[in-house]
Amino acid sequence: MNLRYMLKELYYQRRRTLMSILGLSIGIALLIILNSLSSAYRQAAQVPLKEIGADITVQRSGDVPKDLAGAVFPCSAVTIRKEEVEKIRKLPGVRGIGTGLLLWVFDPNRAWIVLGIEKDNSIGPSLLRSSVTEGRFLEDGKPEALVEQAYARQFGIKLNDTISVADDKFPVVGIIDASRAAKIAIANIYLPIKEAQNLAISSKELQSVSPYAPGDVNLLFIKADQEKITGLASEMKTILGNKATVATPDSFLKLLGSLFALSDKFTLAASLIAIIVAVLIAFKTMAGNIAERAREIGVLKAVGWTNRNVVSQLMSESVIQCFMAGILGLLIALVASFGLSFMKVNIPIPWEMSPNPHFLPGGGDQIFKTLRLPVHVPWNLAFFAILLSIIIGGVTGGLLGRHISKIKPSEVLRHE
Amino acid sequence: MSKSTILSGTDLSMKYGDLEVVKGVSLAVNEGEFVCLVGKSGCGKTTLLSLLSGLEKPTKGRVNLDGREITTSSEDELALFRRDNVGFIFQSFNLIPTLSAWENVALPLFPIKMTSEERRRRATELLGKMELGHRIEHLPSALSGGEKQRVAIARALINNPKIIFADEPTGNLDSSTGEAIMGILNKLHKEEGVAILMVTHEDELAKTANRLIRMKDGEIMS
Repeated sequence: MNLRYMLKELYYQRRRTLMSILGLSIGIALLIILNSLSSAYRQAAQVPLKEIGADITVQRSGDVPKDLAGAVFPCSAVTIRKEEVEKIRKLPGVRGIGTGLLLWVFDPNRAWIVLGIEKDNSIGPSLLRSSVTEGRFLEDGKPEALVEQAYARQFGIKLNDTISVADDKFPVVGIIDASRAAKIAIANIYLPIKEAQNLAISSKELQSVSPYAPGDVNLLFIKADQEKITGLASEMKTILGNKATVATPDSFLKLLGSLFALSDKFTLAASLIAIIVAVLIAFKTMAGNIAERAREIGVLKAVGWTNRNVVSQLMSESVIQCFMAGILGLLIALVASFGLSFMKVNIPIPWEMSPNPHFLPGGGDQIFKTLRLPVHVPWNLAFFAILLSIIIGGVTGGLLGRHISKIKPSEVLRHE
Repeated sequence: MSKSTILSGTDLSMKYGDLEVVKGVSLAVNEGEFVCLVGKSGCGKTTLLSLLSGLEKPTKGRVNLDGREITTSSEDELALFRRDNVGFIFQSFNLIPTLSAWENVALPLFPIKMTSEERRRRATELLGKMELGHRIEHLPSALSGGEKQRVAIARALINNPKIIFADEPTGNLDSSTGEAIMGILNKLHKEEGVAILMVTHEDELAKTANRLIRMKDGEIMS
């Protein structure tokens, strides 16, 4: 391969070179954008669970309370027994579990959504610690409450007020803005889990629908090994029965309904099409370019270039063109990704995970988590695209070079 | 083959399908000899030149070039043999349009391990001999027909060949430029002792050669 010859050929045949580079770069850009979008949707689908520090949430649906009085379980979250929690904790791949107890409390004058939380567990709603806007977070062993900001504003509840929940009194030690932090496991009132468990134990209505013992919960927040999430979800369903609702990033991805979120197969198929288009473009433009140079190849062979010399020269030209196409494709994809990152995506939260009583005004409305699509080009994808460009260049140049190098110089040089 | 014979073709035939273009031709060129192959268009002289220079393999017959039987060599062996022993001059110059004059001259040296400076030095020296020292960086598009052919002659000489094959070297040039090119070829043959086998259809040009071979319908007439 002669570098001087190669560079001059690419430089002086600028139009030809540019056409080859542009054609292939579009295919490469398409490949990068498709995969970046797919990856962005995957990341977006993880956000609702990540906001509460979990990879999986688990609850179990049950019967509807007959009488909406006092503390009851939402029908989408009934008792998960302590022993079941321990079985799940021991599953290989489970790295940690946070628990919660979600109650609807119907007092004569108002209804509360109450969530009992483990205040020191880093997995689950205790992450709301950072969302306290007034006062402080819950402290150990004290019967005290946090009130959600919007709810406090609506009902005129202030810091240091005392609220009565199912006849139990709780001082309000903090106001929190839960909406800013999460869409899952949001409530009006947050209590230490022990206090919420006491409310559940003493509620006859709750016990009649879903027997409850001390230490039981109705929400699980699980951290797990990423590669085991799908397998764990099915094992948890086996432990909890067919009424269990196990939410994973994949289940949110399905809810997104976008083509990119539908399946890995779509992304794979679209990527393959992009690669094939890129290869065909590269092959067609370069085949045309090389065919135009048949006479030149004939001269090279006449003056003593071997087939191998010819192939390596054409291959190096092709590799350089495709490498430049890869770089240009990457730049196009980076610009496109930047533009796409302004796109907003609404992730629907399944009604089972919505804490609001659906029979109350607005309770049945679909809740969405809205976020900017986190589109970016991962470095490994960028590296793969460049490497792929080089391989396409090598294969295309090699095949076409081999083909054209077989011409007989006498055939192309005889016709003046 | 005698000591002074640089090239010999024996009973050479070439067929394209049913059409026999060269019919059992035998000829020899001695070292330092200037031989002209003359004949009308389509009589088979360019094909014969291709067979003798190893650009093409004959359907029948043998070619011996500088003591080596080349008709049995592989394509790559022939290419390497041409690079080391043979020079070519074509009617339409066949310069690479993207390479400068000196790079075109150095084209046969590109696959050889050699510094760029050495290639340039050798090419520039030859271009100087062709009185093109001031045109070494020019692209072929910036050269006149005569200059292009002088670059092509320099390219044919870069590997110090024992024989040059010239196919209608003045065919694309006006008469005065053609004469100048013939002058260079004569000088090469006389001063450098390079054997030349030239194909032409112009009897006038052929008169400058040591020997004239006439071809008609694929056969040698005289």
